[in-house]
Formats: sequence, structure tokens, C-alpha cells
Amino acid sequence: MTFFVNVWTTLEKYYSFFLEGVQNTLIIAFFTVLFGTLLGILMAMAKLSGFKPLRWLATAYIEFFRGTPLMVQLMFIFYGLPMMGVTFPNVPFIENFQRFAAGIVAMSLNSCAYVAEVIRSGIQAVDAGQMEAARSLGFKKSQSMLLVILPQAIRNILPALGNEFVTVIKESSIVSVIGIADLMYRTNGVKAKNYKTLECLFIAAIIYCILTFGSSRLISLMERRMRRGRK
Amino acid sequence: MAGNDMIQVKHLTKQFGKLTVLNDISTSFHAGEVVSIIGPSGGGKSTFLRCLNLLEVPTSGQILFDGVDICDKKTDINLHRQKMGMVFQQFNLFENMNVMRNLTAAPVKIKKMPRQQAEEKAVSLLKRVGLADKADAYPSQLSGGQKQHIAIVRALMMEPEVMLFDEPTSALDPEMIGEVLDVMKALAESGMTMIVVTHEMRFAREVSSRTLFLDGGHIEEDKPSHALFEHPESPRLISFLEKVL
Repeated sequence: MTFFVNVWTTLEKYYSFFLEGVQNTLIIAFFTVLFGTLLGILMAMAKLSGFKPLRWLATAYIEFFRGTPLMVQLMFIFYGLPMMGVTFPNVPFIENFQRFAAGIVAMSLNSCAYVAEVIRSGIQAVDAGQMEAARSLGFKKSQSMLLVILPQAIRNILPALGNEFVTVIKESSIVSVIGIADLMYRTNGVKAKNYKTLECLFIAAIIYCILTFGSSRLISLMERRMRRGRK
Repeated sequence: MAGNDMIQVKHLTKQFGKLTVLNDISTSFHAGEVVSIIGPSGGGKSTFLRCLNLLEVPTSGQILFDGVDICDKKTDINLHRQKMGMVFQQFNLFENMNVMRNLTAAPVKIKKMPRQQAEEKAVSLLKRVGLADKADAYPSQLSGGQKQHIAIVRALMMEPEVMLFDEPTSALDPEMIGEVLDVMKALAESGMTMIVVTHEMRFAREVSSRTLFLDGGHIEEDKPSHALFEHPESPRLISFLEKVL
């Protein structure tokens, strides 16, 4: 019982810390999903391209980013790149832009590799006749892709894509190690103040759960919408 | 006659790896002609048809469409495909679009036809095949015969100079075949140039003006339809007709 009382008093006193953490976690996750998906579509196109060098490049990229830990990638981008003379600029009025940029870039590059594979499999699952029909009407390859193939592919891969988005929310906790004040970072902060380790972790877990459950509901809502009017 | 040729095929060869599917085919199709292509499975009929709009790229040879060699890399094939409607065995309606969007997508996006005009045209063509009430339906809600009607209308929306049919009735239930053939017959009577790969010997014989018998990757016989069916010459055609008639 004292446990839940402690949880309550922690929340009462430090709720603004947790809220700020949630806000930053959502910012990181939102931009990662946005850039990860856009890059992932391009990467999937590259992997399906008829131009061999492009295909090899995409395969190498995907294998590398799926085959190394996100932690290493993040460290490399935040600490390693500046050592090579590549720095993210600081932007006025946006606090900690450098850190956020590094975090979002690292996570997007990583997520892109997974999204690319999901999209590639979705595109390949669309019947080849759909592309042929579009081409036979005079559509260019890119138009056929955009109008006919991708909408069908996305409908098929929505569950797998939703899975990836949920993963992004959870994995984003890793950016706390480069000093971004996300939910995990703030949780550690509160923990250091009131020494209620278990309670703080419990609160963090519940909040992550709400975030991931919320987004997976959102995805299944979209799924149902896209199925409307069809069998 | 040469001035009338819409499509000229010269020494067309297509190989898949070491397998030669089409071997040095030359023929031509003129405007207004309805030509059936018959022959045993694996004889190269579909591949030949698919070469005409470059869904398959020929290994060698030339295909002249309105005098332009479409196999030439510099030719804009998308432009020529707009003039060649194609109807597939498996219909291939766009599953993510309803019937109206299936019909209007190409004219609106490619020919820049105003949407309203495209929709009016779609409705009038749908009426002609008796499917005006299906404009809002998705392909998965239609029967095979309905899908093929829509697929034919979709190709006609682009006002093609020639229609290519790739076994249009082979995936249909028997009672639907007649309806689709009726639409094709009406199309032929309206003067459309048609090239039809088919197993429907009655269509070949009664509707098409000329029939090609394709076997083993080359044209075994090429004659006016009535002559080909009544006086077949090559032994392979004779044995083929004995089996299917």
C-alpha cells in the first residue's frame, strides 16, 4: 500500500518532470517515424530498383543498420561525427537542438532500415498484374508506384508498420544517454531526487504503456478505415 | 496496303534465358482489322501480344507502331501505350480504387482531362456495358464478368487506336464468357482495331477477319479466319483444330 502512496506523492510533486519527458519522447518519436518512413520508402525503392549499384548500396545500408546496435549508431553520430568535423548547427530559440538533431537522425537512420524491409515486402506482395495494368495505360513507373502499388502495399503492411512505430517509442528511451530530457531521462532525474527507484520506474513503465497502446489503437483505427468499402 | 499498316512486326525474337519463345516473327496489322491469335499453350501467343506494348521487351527485331520503332530506347513508350489499350486474363483492376477511379485515373492524370468530363465519359461507357450502378463499387465486390467489362471500359477511356486482349475470357465462369464476347463483338463492329489472343474458336472464326496460328514460337499459318478454319494447311494446325473443335 505504501508503494502506491509513494507513487502518488511522486506524481504529485514531480508530474511536470514526467510531462516534459513525455513531450520530448513524443517529439523524438514523431520525427523518427516521419523521417524513418520517408527514408524507408526511398530505401525500399532503391532496393527494388533495376539499377544494380543502387540495389547493392541499399542492401549494404539495411544490413549495416540492422546489424549494429542503435546505441553504437547514436554514439557515433553524437560523439563520433563532431570528431570528424561534422557538427549539427545550433539553432536559436530551440534548446538543445544539437542533441535532438543527433537523436532524431540516429533513430531515423536506424528505423529507416526496418521500415524499408517492411515496405519492400509489402510492395512485392502486390500482384504484378497491377503494375502491368498501370503501365499498359501509359502511366510512368513512378506514377504507377504512387497511385496503384504503394496504396495497396501500405494497406497490407500497416500492422507491421504499426509494430515498428511502437518500437520507435520504446527505443527512443535510448536518447537519454546523450542528455535529451525524454521520459527515461526525467525518470532517472526524479529517482535521484527522491530515491524512490521502484516507484519512478513503475510510473515510467505505465506512461510508456499508455503511449504505445495509444499509438497501436490509432494504427488499428487506420487499418479499419482503409478496409472500409472492401470485402 | 503498306500505308494502312498500324503495327508492323519485323523479325521479332524473344528469349527467356536460353528458351526461345518467339522466333523471328514478322507480320503486320492494319487499322480496323480484328485479328485472333490462336495456338497451343506455351506457343508464345501471350508473349507476342505483350511484346506489342513492350510489357515484354523483345530480344531482337523491330515493332513499328504508326511508323515509329517502339523498341528503340529513345521512343517514349508511355506515349505509345496510351494508344494501345490492353485487357488482361486476370482483369487487373486497381484494387485500391473504386470503379469510377479505375476508369478516370488514366485520362485525368495522363491526358489531363478535367475530372468532370472524365466522369461523364465513364458513366456513358458504363451504361453501354450495363454497369452504371457499379461506379462506386470496389473491384473485390464485382464478379469476374463485371470486372472484365470494367477492364475493357478502362482501356477504352484512353481512346486507344488498337485494343490488345490477352485471353480475356479464360478466367471467367462459362456463363460470363458470352457477355464479355458480346462486348468485344460490339467493339469489333464499331470499327476498333483489335488483336485478340483467345481460346474461343467461335470468336476467332465468326468475329475476327484474320487469324494467326502461333506454335513453337513462330506463325504457322496466317489467313482470313474463314479460310484458316475451313482449309487449314499445316499439319500442326489441323491436329490443333481437331483437338479444340
